[in-house]
Amino acid sequence: MADVRDIMELERPPTPEITKETILGSDKPKKKLFNAPKAPKRPEGMHREVFALLYNDTKDAPPLFPSDTCYKQKIDLTMRKPRKWTWMPFTNPARKDGAVFYHWRRPSDEPKEYPFAKFNKKLEIPSYTDAEYQQYLKDDQWTKEETDHLMDLAARFDLRFIIMEDRFDKEKFPIKRSVEDLKDRYFKVVGLLGKFNGDKKIYTYDADHEKRRKEQLKRLHERTTQQIEEEQFLLLELKKIEARKKERERKTQDLQKLISQADNQSETPKKTDKKIPKKKLANPSRPSRVDTSQHILQAIETAGIKFPDYKNSGVSLRSQRMKLPANVGQKKSKGIEQMLQDMGLELNPTPNEDICMHFNELRSDMVLLMELKSALASCEFELQSFRHQYEALNPGKTLTIPSQLLSVTENDNKQFNSGEIIDVVGSPGNPNT
Amino acid sequence: MSSGMLYGGDEIGALVFDPGHHSLRVGYAQEDTPKAEIPSVVGVAPGDPIKLESEAKPDDSNISSTPSSWKYYIDTIYLHTPRPNMELHSYMKDGMIENWEYFEKMMDYSYEKIIQSESHFHPVLFSESPWNQRQKREKLTEIMFEKYKVPAFYLVKNAALAAFANGRATALVIDSGATHTSAVPVLDGYVISNAVVKSPLGGDYLVLRAREMLESLGLDLTPSVLIANKEVVRDKDKPRYTKKAFSFDITNSWMTYMTKKTVQDFQQSVLQVSESPYDERVAASIPMVHHEFPTGYHQDFGSERFKLAEGLFDHAMLGAGYIAATSAGMCDVDIRPALYSSVVLTGGNSLVQGFSDRLSKDLSSRTPGSMRLKMIAANGTVERRFGAWVGGSILASIGTFQQMWMSMQEYQECGKAQIDRKCP
Ligand SMILES: Nc1ncnc2c1ncn2[C@@H]1O[C@H](COP(=O)(O)OP(=O)(O)OP(=O)(O)O)[C@@H](O)[C@H]1O
Ligand SMILES: [Mg+2]
Repeated sequence: MADVRDIMELERPPTPEITKETILGSDKPKKKLFNAPKAPKRPEGMHREVFALLYNDTKDAPPLFPSDTCYKQKIDLTMRKPRKWTWMPFTNPARKDGAVFYHWRRPSDEPKEYPFAKFNKKLEIPSYTDAEYQQYLKDDQWTKEETDHLMDLAARFDLRFIIMEDRFDKEKFPIKRSVEDLKDRYFKVVGLLGKFNGDKKIYTYDADHEKRRKEQLKRLHERTTQQIEEEQFLLLELKKIEARKKERERKTQDLQKLISQADNQSETPKKTDKKIPKKKLANPSRPSRVDTSQHILQAIETAGIKFPDYKNSGVSLRSQRMKLPANVGQKKSKGIEQMLQDMGLELNPTPNEDICMHFNELRSDMVLLMELKSALASCEFELQSFRHQYEALNPGKTLTIPSQLLSVTENDNKQFNSGEIIDVVGSPGNPNT
Repeated sequence: MSSGMLYGGDEIGALVFDPGHHSLRVGYAQEDTPKAEIPSVVGVAPGDPIKLESEAKPDDSNISSTPSSWKYYIDTIYLHTPRPNMELHSYMKDGMIENWEYFEKMMDYSYEKIIQSESHFHPVLFSESPWNQRQKREKLTEIMFEKYKVPAFYLVKNAALAAFANGRATALVIDSGATHTSAVPVLDGYVISNAVVKSPLGGDYLVLRAREMLESLGLDLTPSVLIANKEVVRDKDKPRYTKKAFSFDITNSWMTYMTKKTVQDFQQSVLQVSESPYDERVAASIPMVHHEFPTGYHQDFGSERFKLAEGLFDHAMLGAGYIAATSAGMCDVDIRPALYSSVVLTGGNSLVQGFSDRLSKDLSSRTPGSMRLKMIAANGTVERRFGAWVGGSILASIGTFQQMWMSMQEYQECGKAQIDRKCP
């Protein structure tokens, strides 16, 4: 707001609101106008933006929370004389020579210690006397002069060993010293001095290990792009292989599921299906995987008919127990009826204890049989379609499907349906024939 | 505390000098750019020269006479006028100051004309090449304290300064100047001197090759100061101009220098480094660049532009990419990744069009695959040409640096030899 008014060079909003009162000539708004506090004037030469920062026109949004460090109120606009800056001498306590330099400062500021002197940090590099050297620090590989030079460099370059190696006086000390050699000697000296001064913590440096590490690192860095690409490629291949392996495992599990289902069916018929023992399911007669047993359990529970348990539900008619549960669909119940008729059995036999149990078992097996048949049919279909696929892709070849894989369903059906002698077409290798 | 100190700076009126073969950069610390860039040549003529037109009459305060009555001509305006028997000399050699007499003339001129203040008021920070010799460092120290009575003095390797100017303390600095291109590893502000690699291929090499090429085309390279007037001619037509007449023989060194300037103009506006190794067909397919010479002659330049500049990169052992990779390879394996991840490009010759792209391409093909390569090159022409100077300007105005100076007191106590310890 202040900006806009400023640009327009206006003190107040020019057009008073047009209301009934203004038109009718009420004097209320006029009074308001007159009473409004006069805005401070912008001093000449001051930028509008600066002025806007300093001068609070009370038309800003109210602060969200109170603050007492408000810069706006503290600055007053009476153009006081600015404080002086002077080119003044100073000494820096970080310097040992007491040299005098000059910089700009306010004479009004208290002369303080040079503010940057406190950053003057030096590393503590241990020192030793001649006697100490002779007593503890002698080394076959290093002379005292060379050790002295090393310690001097350590102090000058704050233990930047790479720089120390670079600046090592190669004319005076012709033996080539690597960064590791320098570190080794330095930490030995420090360690030995520390030991005799009774320090507890002594740093040991393993130069050989470091050398080996750097060698490795060098080799890592020096791999060619081809090598790196090859590595990347191999890693990618590994991932692919793993993915394929997972896929195969998943398929095996599915197969396992189907096999164990069939297994269980051949074993369970003698049992009442309301009591399939868990032990049985876990029974590793076939190497079924542990993680698949859950699936198998589910598969078996859905197979056959699960008749409700009436034992605990008080008095009931036994004929009630022979009623097919609601979850047996129309198709299945029709199939049961058909089979019962084929076998010449009654649809509703007299429900005594024995008959009731066997009749229920029988019908449960019938449903299971139907389910297996349809599963087999779909497998068969798949097998055939694979064969066609194969033959289409390899013209001229035929895929002979091993006899074990070919079904004997038709024989069974015929046997079952007609009660006649088995037709042997489907199983030439069958020893029964 | 003054407001400047809030940011860690403390300006103490220091001066920064950055000598090179092409020019000397002079100015106040904490400023963005040097006050002046003075060509690194000194014109020397016998005193009492034949008076020429008034315009050429040298300002007396600029020319200091020696007892043997030689006159010295410094800075572009004075150099670019031919004078009887004026020979031009460079005081630099191999990146180091060689001729101290001429160098002092240059310093006199700088204080008098550029700084316009007395030398004993201002601490001085000098840049030096990474291979500067101990005896030269001591000599410079001595001159600064004894002759110029500076209150404090400091010497820093120009590569370290260029790294600072680009905000790095650790970097692989590729400096392509007039006489050479160098790759200098800097670790925490210290140059690793044993891993410095340089090649003599710089701006002057390009000028030399460009000149050979232009001369073989039979082009007239007369500098503009010698041309009185010229006519507009058509493309590739013979130039029509009249030469200024002088009553004296123009010296060879002056002529050579001025011709070099002419070719330098050509080099800077025409030459370009191709993106990948030079290929005649690719180069021919890029639009030509038109150039007019001082004589008025003008023509288009096509594949020559690339062919000439290729010299900076195609050499097996001296190409910029090669020396950079070699230098990094000579450093401790532990710091190589840090170097590759901040490759600082500086020096006037790196401004040749396409230089940085080509260098980054060449270098990346030599960078170990597991390392990240990052090139840092200031965008501005000024920042690139004055990288070392700008770094010096920053360094000399940092509060914590003020304890580093070698002071007059220290000099008087321990002499010049301590420069080696004070400024490692
Ligand atoms: N815009 C530009 N394009 C191309 N080349 C340029 C440009 N500006 C400067 N140069 C070249 O850069 C060179 C000067 O670079 P610089 O100022 O870094 O050298 P120097 O430091 O004085 O020399 P040296 O490092 O060899 O001692 C000259 O050869 C000049 O021709
Ligand atoms: Mg240079």
